[in-house]
Amino acid sequence: MNEEMAWVIQAQQGSDEAFTHLVETYQTPVFNLCYRMLGEPDLAEDAAQETFLRAFQHLHRYDQKRPFATWLLSIAAHYCIDRLRRRKFSMFSMDAEDDEGNTFELPDPDSPDPEAESVKGQTRDRIQAMLKDLDNTDRAAIIMRYWYDYSEAEIAESLRLTVSAVKSRLHRARKELAGLWQEEETRAETERRPYESPAF
Amino acid sequence: MNHQPFEDWLLNDKNLTSPEKRELDLHLRTCTHCTALSATGLALRSANVIAPAAGFTVRFQERLAIQKVAERRRKLWGMMVLLIGGAGLLSWFAAPYIYTFISSPVEWFTAAIGYFLFIITSLQALTQVVSVLARILPDFIPPYMWMVFISALAGFGLLWTISIWRFSRRTPQGVSA
Repeated sequence: MNEEMAWVIQAQQGSDEAFTHLVETYQTPVFNLCYRMLGEPDLAEDAAQETFLRAFQHLHRYDQKRPFATWLLSIAAHYCIDRLRRRKFSMFSMDAEDDEGNTFELPDPDSPDPEAESVKGQTRDRIQAMLKDLDNTDRAAIIMRYWYDYSEAEIAESLRLTVSAVKSRLHRARKELAGLWQEEETRAETERRPYESPAF
Repeated sequence: MNHQPFEDWLLNDKNLTSPEKRELDLHLRTCTHCTALSATGLALRSANVIAPAAGFTVRFQERLAIQKVAERRRKLWGMMVLLIGGAGLLSWFAAPYIYTFISSPVEWFTAAIGYFLFIITSLQALTQVVSVLARILPDFIPPYMWMVFISALAGFGLLWTISIWRFSRRTPQGVSA
């Protein structure tokens, strides 16, 4: 039995300390999934905390034959999808905004080269901005596939879909992202053109 | 080669051989759609993992403690409402009887003993009827009818157990075994 399973069993028997170990281990993957799904650090923090609370309350239902991470990320994904569905009817924006409506970027705590990090940051923001245009379940599938290297079967199990449905959702989402990428490239090129010298 | 195989390679994240890579590179020079697919694939694979702000576990522990207190308070309030409600309902139903008992206790005692004797004699009579029926009925009802009756009873029992099991297994969205 590995250390993680020992913590799970102890937590199932009511040990708060064991569950704290699990929170420490999985805080980053759960937070990252929530952030990629919701797009705002505050909402992601709240969703990640709620995911762990739900997991704690329903730990007795966890089937030890399944990987714990899959179970946990499945709770997080469903919670975020549910939250986005509810938020769809409200007026809030998906962009990270402050009280005055200005967007902000997440600070990178260990950035060694500012220029390289800036380029990386731009691509990261671009991907994050494009993710918000995807259908909620498609977005969850994409995040599980590319951030967690989940197989189509694992995604299907987590999102309660069939493997073929996952495959078609992934393809659709990838095509949509490519379309958005192309649109942005065209827009950027149009914006660049007026400043270019006619000689070139 | 036409466009479709290249799109399939990119969508399925296929591990390409060197000649396939060369073919794809040639195709990417002319196809903007596949270039965008390739670029988004690269961007997705190189996207970093965002960590929460420091102290996440401490904040979770605080939240869990608040949740536990709220849960305990909710249970306590539920219990109190149930007890007070039950006691109120019971006293409302029992008030007329208590009133008559307080006003004439002898009459009440006589009535209670009368009811008690009635129940005892009724039970004795019922036992006799059941024993007589148990002696007579097997001759009148064929064995297969008994089997049908017992099977129906077992079926209803099973249905009832399954309904309770399904109801008790209901979980919130996303939480599954």
